[in-house]
This record gives sequence, structure tokens and C-alpha cells, in this order.
Amino acid sequence: MLLERNADDAVFGHFGAAAGYALAARRAMHTMRTGPETWKHIAVGQRKWANLNPAAALYDRPMTSEDYYDARWVVEPFRLFDICLMTDGGRAMIITSTERARDLRHPPVLIMGVGQHNPSCDVHQATHLAGPTGAKKAGEMALRMAGITVNDIDACEIYDCFTYTVEITLQDYGFFGPGEGKDWFKNGTLEPGGRMPVNTSGGQLSEGYYMGLTPLSEAAMQLMGRCEARQLGPGTNTKSPEILLCSDNGGILQTHSCIVLRRS
Amino acid sequence: MSEVHKPIPHINGDNKEFWAGCKDHELRFQKCKTCGHVRWPASFICPICYSKEIEWIVSGGKGKVYTFIVYHVAYDRAFESDLPYVVADVELEEGPRLVTNIVGCRPDEVRCEMPVEVMWQDITEEFSLPKFKPRSQTI
Repeated sequence: MLLERNADDAVFGHFGAAAGYALAARRAMHTMRTGPETWKHIAVGQRKWANLNPAAALYDRPMTSEDYYDARWVVEPFRLFDICLMTDGGRAMIITSTERARDLRHPPVLIMGVGQHNPSCDVHQATHLAGPTGAKKAGEMALRMAGITVNDIDACEIYDCFTYTVEITLQDYGFFGPGEGKDWFKNGTLEPGGRMPVNTSGGQLSEGYYMGLTPLSEAAMQLMGRCEARQLGPGTNTKSPEILLCSDNGGILQTHSCIVLRRS
Repeated sequence: MSEVHKPIPHINGDNKEFWAGCKDHELRFQKCKTCGHVRWPASFICPICYSKEIEWIVSGGKGKVYTFIVYHVAYDRAFESDLPYVVADVELEEGPRLVTNIVGCRPDEVRCEMPVEVMWQDITEEFSLPKFKPRSQTI
């Protein structure tokens, strides 16, 4: 869809999701002074989680801030490591009643709340590129249904098609104010040992791209306690997880889903 | 020479007046006769008030860069020789925002909110593309 030669924008050489999100990220650089110095914390921090995950495509590839800055531009302001992987593979999850789940081999993970919001508007006319995106209302809905606030969240699994997506999603969920991500992400906030772990498998940037199932399956696995070296808790010097927040979005920030999960 | 291999506009019932205007080096947009909203992309119904009554207006061709990106990778080989090139979302004074290219300056000189004006690139006998270049700030 995004790469069609007969799309209206193709005549100007405009193609693809990276370019669409880059337009949003550039606007955010203008309105809230974000940019690569914020996004590097996301790319580098998630890679540290991937380095603990043998299933991650980039498991044996450490990354420093210098590596991030040295990577080539793809669609500026995005460098190579701002962009998710392309992965052949699949993920599956079983969703069933708590009654049936009792007989399964693994302890079930419970859905506390869900929310969706779809700004829908085409990126080229959108006014939500630098937030609030659909994440704001979807997050409010999910947290209200769960009867909690962001202060009750132990870790996040955020749809990370691009580094900027992680920033704007966490901002719209209320973890920090507009433009405050630069400070919030500093000092390893989202990394192993950090106070708010994010994308603990390495995410789509460093583990593999399975659309919304990369974050969602990781959240379920973490709450079941099946994550071995990267397991949240004492082994990674993080809080033992009771409640996790997950996101998914589609189009160019046009659709958004939020789901809150808890350990049974 | 590579220009001929680039995609050409895909005409449909909604946008044919826009591209006919481009051929005459005019930026034509639909204006809702009911609520006054000037819209792009073209459509048969107003996205604000749902009225089907329209008139076509001609834009003065002045606007500013709402956001922009610099391509360092050619997703379509026809654009390889243009690298690095700028795609921008330009907000016209009449209201609509248009995806286009910024030309006439280096990519690293482009800024959000930079004032720009339309210039025309005739790509075939049938089609001309509206692109934008920096304008000096005057009233």
C-alpha cells in the first residue's frame, strides 16, 4: 500500500512508513525540541535488552551511542537504528476464559483493560503528529477500565516501529510531559536495571518485527515468568512485574490500541 | 532522462481538476460553499460539514513548511539520481497542506515554518508538478 507507484505522493518520491513517521518526528523536533539525542536512548537501551534475548535478531550485536550516531541516514531525521527490523516469522497467543486457562500448562495472564483511539486523518493533513496521538485517549480508556494509573505500571511493551513512536506513545500515556522525554530516558530508565523497563525483548528495533505481537507476546511472557536472562525482577535488577502496559498502532499514527495486563 | 521513468499523477474523478490546474501552472483547490473550508485531497464531500456544494479557488502558491524529511535512500530507483532530496508537507496560506518537494536550496537549509512559494516542473506534455522553493520574507 505505502509503496504504490500510483499513490498521490509517489510523483514526489514519497514512499513508505519510515518516511511517514519521519514527517511526524520532524514536526515533533520543531514543536517540542526532541530529536536523535532523545531517540538514541531508546535505540541503545532496547538493544541492551536484546543482548539478553537469544531469540533476538541482534542478540550478539551490542550498540553504543556512537554506533547510533555513526549509522547511515535512511530518511532524515531517522538513522538506520531508529527503524524497526524486517522479520520473517510469526507469533501466536491464546486468548481464552480464565476458567479454561486454569487447565493450561502456564499460569494465565489477565487482561485488566483495553482502549482504542483512531485519529485516522491522513498524515499530510494531521495535526496530531507531535501528539496527542491516539495513544492519549486509548491509554486513558485502558487505564480507566483497569482502575489504575500509570504509577501502577511496572514495565511497558510499546509498539516501536520507530524510536520516535516509543517517545510519543509514552508521552501521550502520561509518563512525562511534551518534550520531557529527553530527560526521562536519560541514565538508562528503560534499560536492564532501569526504573521503567521498556521493550524488554529488544522490541521491533532489536528483537524482531511481529507487528503488535512483539510487544504483546513479550508482556505475556514476562508476566508468566518465562523470559530467562531478560526476566524482569531481581535477575535484571528491576521490579518484579505485576502490571504491564502494551501498545500497538497502525498507519502513520492513525490507529492506536492500548492493553493493560496483569499477573494471575 | 530518468524523469520519464518516474511515476506520473494517478488521475481520478476527484483530483482531475487539480491536475488540470497544474498543467496551467495554477494550484486549484475545492472550497466548500457551505462552510468555506478549503480542502485537499479533493473529495466530493466536505470533511468538515459534509456539504457537497463546492467552488474551485486558485491558491496564491505561498505557504510554509509544516514538516519535511530528507531521503537518503531511494525506495523507487527512478529517484536514485535525486538523492538526497527533500519531501515536505507544505501548508498553503489558503489552508490545505500538500506533499511536495522543496527545491532551490540545499536539504540542510530547509526548516519547519520556512516560507516557500510554488514553482512548476513540467514532467510531460500532460503533467506539471507543483514544487516549492524558499521565498524571501515580504508582506
